[in-house]
Amino acid sequence: MADIFIYLGYFVLTIDLILYTYSFFRKEEANVFFVSYLAFCFIMQFSMEAMYHFHLNNLFLVNIFIIGQMIFLGLFYNSIFNVKSQKRFVLISVGAALLILAIQFATDWGQFLRFNLFEITLASLLVVIFALIHFYNMLTESKKYYYISIGVMFYLLTSTVLFLIGNLTHNLSKEFKFLSWQLNSVLLVMYYGFILFDWKKNFSKKSVN
Amino acid sequence: MNVHALPEKEIVAIILYTSLFLMILSVVLIVFFYFSRKKIIQKELEKKDLVLQYQKEQLHAIIFTQEEERKRIAQDLHDDISSKLNIVSLNSHLLTAPNLTEAETAEITENIINLTTKALDNSRKIAHNLLPPVFEKFGLNAGIEELCEEFETSKSVKTHYKNEIDFDDKDIDKHLHVFRILQELMNNSLRHGKATELWISFTNKDGVNNCDYEDNGIGFDSSNAENQKGLGMKNIDSRISFLEGTIKINSEINNGITVNFTF
Repeated sequence: MADIFIYLGYFVLTIDLILYTYSFFRKEEANVFFVSYLAFCFIMQFSMEAMYHFHLNNLFLVNIFIIGQMIFLGLFYNSIFNVKSQKRFVLISVGAALLILAIQFATDWGQFLRFNLFEITLASLLVVIFALIHFYNMLTESKKYYYISIGVMFYLLTSTVLFLIGNLTHNLSKEFKFLSWQLNSVLLVMYYGFILFDWKKNFSKKSVN
Repeated sequence: MNVHALPEKEIVAIILYTSLFLMILSVVLIVFFYFSRKKIIQKELEKKDLVLQYQKEQLHAIIFTQEEERKRIAQDLHDDISSKLNIVSLNSHLLTAPNLTEAETAEITENIINLTTKALDNSRKIAHNLLPPVFEKFGLNAGIEELCEEFETSKSVKTHYKNEIDFDDKDIDKHLHVFRILQELMNNSLRHGKATELWISFTNKDGVNNCDYEDNGIGFDSSNAENQKGLGMKNIDSRISFLEGTIKINSEINNGITVNFTF
């Protein structure tokens, strides 16, 4: 029963990806980095699902997902910012974060196979900061990618805590083990819903014309 | 397995990272609110400055037009009346001269009568220009009708005037603004737009009085802000703000101008 949210999440994500890809190729209006991010999410979700079915440990995919999310969303925000210093801040912070994480993984490879707390905190915080900078810019400008940013803020703030306690839930009894992940899947559905809503607001009208 | 199987170090790390995450987040949020407030306040200040500047410009325009108007009246008085009265006075002096023949006296008196008639005519014209008596006595509708007639006869412009509103004489102050706006628009159409046909219509939509004005002149590029800062336009703007109405001006080059305002 709880799985329904997981599949609903996949479903909404697929629709998001199709719609944004359509807008991108038809009108070249959708942001290329955001489309890549959606494609990345799509691939990640389905490879996680596949590995789950083959009874493999898919935890390292979570790490790849979080780092990839930071890179793609960082590039996405970098491309929509207009102020030079903000653009530079995004590039430098993402670069520095990647460097630090590379050093961490190089010294302790084992971190890659479990919930890496440092990486989750760093990556999520950076994306949240980027989204906040975008909100700051939107105070006086048009509301471009408004709902996407709301979704990003909402999902990252809530899911980060869930990921942070991920190592704890690992050891819980079968009954409660997946509770936080069920919660996460509900959050994901809402997140993808926000992205869908943003598409409806910004692109659907133009594609009709 | 249960929670206690986790090494204590792990749990501490989780707690530390979670609180660190929330701590940094709250700092970031506070910084965000601080800068947002600053930005909003700055934006508001800019807006107020803009309003102030606009008001100042309007005031300048009013003073300037007042001076222009004075100059024009002074010139009219000087050219059309004073000069004629001067000649009248000279002629009357001539009358007092001795040994005038009958014919000479008749000529001089005729001159005087002619000149006084002209002076009278001119003074009426000046007064008329300042405030048309028809408008004052019979209201806006008659005033505009007369204005159209005047334009048709003296300036060879075709006018089409339509009115659906029964104007209330109590609002004569307001109507004067409307009259002046139309006067200005018509003068502009003629002087700058080289229009040969004008359309004016008053309608009442849901209790709001509308005036539509149109001409077939050469028009201007209404998207160009430079074209909206002329003195006449500023005057119209301030009159509209007196009327607490709104105005929409649309024009394209070679396509005339359409103006729609409410009052």
